[in-house]
Formats: sequence, C-alpha cells, structure tokens
Amino acid sequence: MTAAVDSVRTLTLREIGPAERGTRAEEVVIALSPAFGDPFTKTIVDVPHAEVIRQLLAGIEERGGVARVIKVYKTADLAAIAHFGAKLSGSGIAVGVLSRGTTVLHQRDLARLSNLELFPQAPLLDAEVFRMIGANAAQYAQGQSPRPVPTRNDQMARPRWQAKAALLHLKEFDCIDHSRAAVDVEPVIGWAEPS
Amino acid sequence: MTNNVTELTPADYPLSINRPELLTTPTGKSLDDLTMAAVVAGEITSEDLRISPDTLALQGQLAAAAGRRQLADNFTRASEMTAIPDAEVLAMYNSLRPNASSAAQLEDLASRLESTYSATTCAALVREAAQVYADRNLLAEED
Amino acid sequence: MTAVAPQPTGSSIRTSKRTEILEARPVNLDGFVEEWPEKGLVAMESDYDPQPSVRVEDGRIVELDGRTRDRFDFMDTFIADHAIDVETCEEAMAVPSVEIARMIVDPRTSRADVVAVGRGLTPAKILDVVKLMNVVEIMMGIQKTRSRRTPANQAHSTSAKDNPIQVAADAAEGAVRGFAELETTLGVVRYAPLVAIGLQVGGQVGRGGTLTQCALEEATELDLGMRGITAYAETISIYGTESVFVDGDVTPWSKAFLASAYASRGIKMRFTSGTGSEVQMGNAEGRSMLYLEIRCILMARGAGVQGLQNGSISCIGVPGAMPGGIRAVAAENLVASWMDLECASGNDQSFSHSPMRRTSRLLPQMLPGTDFVCSGYSAVPNKDNMFAGSNLETDDYDDWNVIQRDMQVDGGLRHVREDVILQVRNKAARAMQALFVELDLPPITDEEVEAATYANSSDDYPDRDVLADLEGARSVMERGITGLDLVRFLERAGFGDVAENYLKVLRQRVSGDLLQTAAVLTADFVPLAAINDANDYAGPGTGYRLTGERWDELKKLRHVTSAENPEEEVV
Repeated sequence: MTAAVDSVRTLTLREIGPAERGTRAEEVVIALSPAFGDPFTKTIVDVPHAEVIRQLLAGIEERGGVARVIKVYKTADLAAIAHFGAKLSGSGIAVGVLSRGTTVLHQRDLARLSNLELFPQAPLLDAEVFRMIGANAAQYAQGQSPRPVPTRNDQMARPRWQAKAALLHLKEFDCIDHSRAAVDVEPVIGWAEPS
Repeated sequence: MTNNVTELTPADYPLSINRPELLTTPTGKSLDDLTMAAVVAGEITSEDLRISPDTLALQGQLAAAAGRRQLADNFTRASEMTAIPDAEVLAMYNSLRPNASSAAQLEDLASRLESTYSATTCAALVREAAQVYADRNLLAEED
Repeated sequence: MTAVAPQPTGSSIRTSKRTEILEARPVNLDGFVEEWPEKGLVAMESDYDPQPSVRVEDGRIVELDGRTRDRFDFMDTFIADHAIDVETCEEAMAVPSVEIARMIVDPRTSRADVVAVGRGLTPAKILDVVKLMNVVEIMMGIQKTRSRRTPANQAHSTSAKDNPIQVAADAAEGAVRGFAELETTLGVVRYAPLVAIGLQVGGQVGRGGTLTQCALEEATELDLGMRGITAYAETISIYGTESVFVDGDVTPWSKAFLASAYASRGIKMRFTSGTGSEVQMGNAEGRSMLYLEIRCILMARGAGVQGLQNGSISCIGVPGAMPGGIRAVAAENLVASWMDLECASGNDQSFSHSPMRRTSRLLPQMLPGTDFVCSGYSAVPNKDNMFAGSNLETDDYDDWNVIQRDMQVDGGLRHVREDVILQVRNKAARAMQALFVELDLPPITDEEVEAATYANSSDDYPDRDVLADLEGARSVMERGITGLDLVRFLERAGFGDVAENYLKVLRQRVSGDLLQTAAVLTADFVPLAAINDANDYAGPGTGYRLTGERWDELKKLRHVTSAENPEEEVV
C-alpha cells in the first residue's frame, strides 16, 4: 500500500429496528460486532469498515443473494455473533465480522464452535477476500457447495500483529452492552477527505 | 507397593544402569530379557514394554529423595493407574473436564478408582476436584 | 487509541533520507503496543497485581496474595493445596524480597537453598522478587537454577506437505547436529501416524537416544505415546486464570490426572504455558502477564509434572510488543527453573522480522543455558514449519555454531561435516523406504530417497499420493501398529542398528528413568537428569563449563583456516 489515498469511504450504520428472524430464503445476514463501524472505522490492517461492508454486499449480490446487516451488542465472541446471525437469517447463513476483520461463515444448524469457513488471520483479509466471502455466503444460502475461499498464511503475522490483535480484542470487549439487543442497520457509505 | 528393598538414594539413578536388578515389567520380565532376539522371535509384546507399579514406586522414592514431593505424589497416582486400561484412563480424564460430570458421577468415579483399582490417591484427587467444582459452579446438572 | 495517529504512508510530508532507511529496516515490520495494565496488557510491572501475603491455619493455607479461602478461585485453591509447602511458607514469605533476589544471584547461596525458599512462596511474592532483577541478574539466576547441569536443545521437524520422508531426513540431520528432543506436528492431522514414524526413525538414525513427540490434540497424542510411536509429550497446555482454563475445557485437577496418566505408561511429559496467552484470550482478569505465568508455573509444580515448556511460546508477539516484554519472558524461564522444573525455554516461534532482535531475544536463554534452549529450533526451513515458524531455523545453523564458538557457550548443537549429514539423511530415507514396504504402505521411490538426501525444503521432493498416504495412515492406526512392530520391521529390513536404538528408547519406559526431572538420553543411552546430572553451579569455575572434547568439537565450523597450513581449512 504505497499509493496515497486522497479520500476514504466512511461507514454509518443507520439503525432500523430490532433484528428479527428473516423470511427470505436466499437471505444472508452480515452480523457485525459491537465496535464495528463505531467507534472503530477500519480493520487491523486499515481496511475501512465501509470497504468491508461494500465488498461483502457486492459479493453476495453478484451471486444472487440478498443481504441484511445486523449489529450485535451483547457479545464480542465471533462464533456467538455469527451463530446468532445465522439463526436470524432467512437462509440460515450468516457472515460474522469482528471490528479487527476476523470473519467466519456460519450456518444455523451447526454447533456454535463449528463453522462453514473461518478466516482467523485478520491481517490477511483484504477487499478481494471479503468479496469472495460474500460470494460464497450467497452460494451457501442457495444450497450450493462453493469452493472454500483459499486460505492465506503468513508466519510473520505474529510478530507484527499479535499484540495489536489482543489490544483490539480488549477494546471490542469494552464495547459490549449486555442490555442492548441486536438491531437491523442500514449501511450508509460516504466519502470523506482524510484529516 | 514394593517396600522390601533398601531405601533408594539419588546415587541409584539411573535405575536402568545402576539398579537393573530392581526392575521388572508388569509381565515379570527383566530388562535383560528385552533383547532384539526376543523381539524378532515374537516373545516380546507391548505389555512387556510397560512400566510396573513397583518401578513407579522406586522412581517416587528417588524423586522424594531429591526433594520433589509433588513429583513423587504424581508417581504414586501413576503407579495406581497402571492397572487401568488405556481407554478408561482417557474416559476418566474427560469426565474431570469442567461441567462434564455431576457430583454423583464424580463420586462414582472416585468409588470405582478405589474399589476396582485400589487407586486411593487418585480417588482422593477426584473427590477434591468434585468439592472445588461444586464451589466454583463447574459441575454438570444432575440427570 | 493513542493520542497521535501514525503518519499515513505516502503522505506528502517530507522525511529525511535517514528516516527513509530506518523506516525500511525489518524491525519496523514488528508490532509494538502501548501498555494497558487495567486489562492485563502489561508484561510484569502492574499496579493491578496483588500484594504478596499468606496465612496458615490448622496446617492449611487460608489466605493467598490478599484473598481469603472463601474468595479463592480454583487456581488459588490448587496452588495453596498442592504447590506451596505449608510448613515453610510463613517463614519464607517473611524473608524480604530483595534478600531472596540476592540469594538467587549470589553464587555463595546454593541452588538447593534457593529452591527451598522458593517452595514456600506465593505467586505475588515470586513476582515481587523477580521484578527486582534486571535481565543480567535473571540470566545469572537461570544459570544457577536450571535443573540439569548440561544444557540441551530441541528441534521442530515438520513438513508443509506432511511428507514423512522429509520429516525423517530432517530429524536425522537434527539428531546428528545434536538435538536431544525432536518435535513434529501436522498440517493435515490424519497424516500423524506416518509423520510421527518418520520422526522416530529419522531421530534414531541420526544418533541413538533422541526423544520424539508429535503435537496433536490430547487423545491422539496420548495414543501415539502409548503405542510407543512417540517417546514423550509436551503440548499439554495450562493457563493462568480460571476463566481461560474453563474456556480450554480443562482444570488443574484434570491436568494433574493427565500428568499421572502419562507417567503410568512410563512416558515423559511436560506442560506448556506462557506469558500473553490469557490477555490474548481476553481473560487476564487485570493481572500482568508474568503474574499469571507464575500461577501456571506453580500449578505445574502442584500437579507433580516434571517440567514445563514456557517462554510465551505461541503468544510471543504479545509480550514481544510490550515494554520489558522480553525481560518478562526471561523471568518466566527463571521462575520455572527456580521452582525446580525442567524448563524448555521457548525461542520456538517466529518472533521478529529483525535478525538483530531475533538474536537478542535468544541470548537470555542461550548464554546461561537452559534444559532446552529452544523448545523448537526449526530443523526445517521456516516455510516448512507447521508450528508457524520458529525464532531459529535451518538457515541459522552456522550462525548458531559461530555464536557458540564466539562465546564459548554450549547451545546443544555442533557443526557436522557435509558427508556425515548426507549419509544420515540418505539412511533415514532408506530406512523409511524399507519400513513402508514392511508396513504395506504406499511405496517410497528411489527418486524420493535421492531427493531427501540433498533437499532443503519440501519443494525439493517429488509429491506423494496424499490420499493413498492418508489411507495408509488410517490403516496403521486400525491395525494397531506399535513401536515394537516398527522395531521388528526395521530389524527384518536390514536396519538393525536403527532398530536397536529404537528398542533401547522403548526399553526406557520399563525403567521409568526418563520420568525424572529434565531427563534426556545421551547417545550412549545413559539417562541424564536433574538427579545424576544435577546443576551444581556455585560461581566462577563451577557448574557446566564448555571444556575438553566438547569444546574441541564446538571449535569446528564450516570454514576455519588451518594454523598449521594457512592455505587449507580445518576439516
């Protein structure tokens, strides 16, 4: 990433109402963690949250899926967030995303700690990967068996990112609100000049 | 346990070199019996390559003599466990996981260790765990 | 987060040419994070750690580090009831921390006295002591409290393709270079039996008496051990808080039971823990990393396990990013040694982009010597390392040997001539080839043997039929193949010396000698443990000294100009 960025996409999650069980059979739920979008704005490797959402939505759409975005407040545990989303999803398929970028594809009928596809190394997730994750989610939602998104591995991710990941994890936990139920949100993507 | 031998001192270690006459397999073989010729002739089975409770007691003496009380206690539990089949040892381990067993199930485990295997120190460890799990809300619901 | 946001790359603000060079240095690819003590994101100096205290009533500890028994979590209970000597704790706790710290450093105080006082201390008191010590004093402490007199080293031998022939050849080379223990793990777990066999066979080719293990989930690891395909176990994880223990689906009591299960089969075993794991999992309960690691160390002693692998291990990126973090990692090795446990002291995970920083992280273990300086020096190139890379790898062999020679320090390895290395690699591959025939496994071709002899990484081997291998691996387990079967097959196939070495390793189970603290086998199959090779360091001129034949051996390098004939190199 050497090119200068003149402006960045911004994300506002406009609250619509309580998140409830969906009815559309091809629906994919994107379940976001407590700090996603607010107060955090980008993943551990500075992928803007707006870009994460944009790519997931594009991936889902280009494979004929319908997306619904929800925000979860009561837990920052990725498996729990994704499994909760899957249970609300009309298709039973959900993408769970933490603020730092860690992502999982989940299905309603699986055990909470199981998953369809897990992307544990947040530093390796870029726009392209998020788009592929969205595309696979839509295919699962339509009962297909897509080829899993190729996993990446970088043994030097640990020295670079492990401590920051721990810090972001702690910050995310601080944003948990046990009294606040999950809500449907409308993602509004805008542009801003860098400060 | 074997107590009819002299108390061992650290100078007896390693037993395989300094006191081989004290060592027998659970099947009654000596170390010298475990030769390649015997292996090739099919006279040695996996049972012959196990440690006996008596040997664990000897190693426990050495550990205690070196001032390692907890290591010696571990060898005492281990000597009791030599009698328990592999699969059951694993099952017992799993039942000691948090929220895996009820108070009654842990008591059954402790009783079985005592009555079937004379494993009294293992049983004591299980009963102690049951008490702590009760205090810390880590027992499974009763059926 | 921080008050000042980092400068975005590509910003138009002009920087100096020197800054450009510094920015490009590998060390700036490493991550560094500010402390957050309230959450436990702090190495070892935190106002949120408890103050030391102990109180005994009726022969039982009823207060530990400011908590009374009714408020104990299960770590407190286990430590109070199993790890600390009740008879001596009040007396030991009354000794000022600075006195104890000086006892550790002062050569006139014996290791036995230092260990004895340590048996009565609580976690907070131990932390209070080591907080007084700088990194050189910590190294002095490790030098004295290490349990085995002779230092040793451990290798990782794995394959990115889970290729058992590669694992065997690299194990053989590792063994001949001097590693006392060899560890493997898998990409595809179902490959485990074949890879574990490769490790065991290769290890016995390189030299007799290397001990092997295969890191897997607990049940399979124990199964391979019980069958005699592996010789010891290490990846038995423990944690510093009750919540993380429960998240890991274990307790101190279940782990103590497992420790006895291994001993009951005559199998050597150590636990694993390390700074940073609790905060990484978000459950540090507001304690510093080192405080929690000291709780792990005491839990390990309480369970009666002979040793501990610690030194942050897989969480090294967390303390590594904190101020004083690598001092804390050295301190945790010191405490494990001081608590009279065998210490396999880390240096086993990719740690830094900076070669200079990788070396400095290594010195607190390498210079004083530990029971295993690395608990996983990558004996394969890091890209083949299925533990996600190590702080040291095959490319570093010559550097390691030179540092040993520069400092006159024994890090457990040695330079080995190329012809010897080629010979053991070739023999390991041929032994596997013969063994696979005996076991009716997918054949190993001559081309593979040739590749193994000269290879560096998994890229240098012909691909195997993975599905056929996995089917073979399954059948090895289903047929109930044991170490004894492998000995018989090796003997029958004409690898009698390898079979003999393997049988001698298996025979060790009957004697239980390897169950004692810090036990390893010499190449002559003499068990060397903290009993017959107890560390007797008592100041200059005592303890382990690199002299005699071993020193002569370590003077050899790949290129040393001959004094007798400067036109030639010493062979």
